[in-house]
Amino acid sequence: MHSHSQSFPVLAGFAVLIPAHNEAATIGGLVEAAKEHLGGDVVVIDDASTDETACIARSAGATVLPLSCNLGAWGATQAGMRYALRTGYQQVLTMDADGQHLPEYLPLLLATLVSGEVDVVIGACPERGSRARQLAWSYFRKLTGLGIEDLTSGFRAYNEAAMKVLAAPDATLLDYQDVGVLLLLRHARLRLREIPVPMRERDHGGSRVFPSWLVVGKYMLQTSLLCLAKVGMNGKRRVAQR
Amino acid sequence: MIDYQWTSTLIGLLIAGLILFLVRRDHLHGPYAIWWLVVAAMVVVLGAFPRLFDTVAPLFGVAYPPILAVVLGMGLLLIKMLTMDLERSRQERKLRRLTQRLAMLEALLEKERRNRPAQKEGGAGGNGDQVW
Repeated sequence: MHSHSQSFPVLAGFAVLIPAHNEAATIGGLVEAAKEHLGGDVVVIDDASTDETACIARSAGATVLPLSCNLGAWGATQAGMRYALRTGYQQVLTMDADGQHLPEYLPLLLATLVSGEVDVVIGACPERGSRARQLAWSYFRKLTGLGIEDLTSGFRAYNEAAMKVLAAPDATLLDYQDVGVLLLLRHARLRLREIPVPMRERDHGGSRVFPSWLVVGKYMLQTSLLCLAKVGMNGKRRVAQR
Repeated sequence: MIDYQWTSTLIGLLIAGLILFLVRRDHLHGPYAIWWLVVAAMVVVLGAFPRLFDTVAPLFGVAYPPILAVVLGMGLLLIKMLTMDLERSRQERKLRRLTQRLAMLEALLEKERRNRPAQKEGGAGGNGDQVW
């Protein structure tokens, strides 16, 4: 375990990215746990929180990117990736701030990534969630042809090639970090692998992504449209930045 | 009672005047001003010569000439709305990237500040420009 806050830029290594919106209750413990289990730098992207999230994360030893407007989980994650690329990190790991991802599995994700056979490792727990969610997932799997069991998991590890694809302006107008992101990665012919990990239920509050049925409906429509618009774009074009 | 032609010509001129005023006051950005000026010019022309549609409509097989004006007007409005949404998406992307960039810069500044708390005369951060 090592924490290098003394030098900038950090020219190698990896960072853990945690997008957080009003997660004061969990963020401190999470940053410490991530540092303890994996070492390296922890970057908390504070998605315009109105509570003490940024402060607590900072005092727990994280670098904080304070977003001045709320960009949502994906916008925040992308900010972290842009930062990581600029500061010279070669791998990033992403995890949710609500406590459903277990920091003790971070090393497993990183080890699978650095084995070099894949560009993105997804910590998957497809058995979580309600029947409705399972149904939605199988619907999107059929629609996209993505062979991914857990489409929405934010517990992932990316190498530099994947970071470059996702930090590009093309990925900026995505609203969720699931199907759209996976389609972009497939389009860039990157190799994805899922590894099974256990997940916990949220510690505090309800789901940030799906607070109501109206939002779920909007999500289903928006994501379906995205899938249909991207039909046939299965890696025929290589992303220039790669 | 004045002629209808004068009413519509006057409306067109008023719109054109308003647009020029808004551009002059810096309320309307260049490309948008041009679109609206073209609209005002059309209103003036069609207002002055309302018979234009009577000659054009039969060429398009439209039996009742005023309908052509309505259909064209609605079509142009739809195009205008679409271009507005395109512009909004472009701006949204720009805003998101700027927000991200600002956060990155703030993090950098914070880091620089922490790294050298004692140096007060240092001025701007040394390698910051190269990195960003």
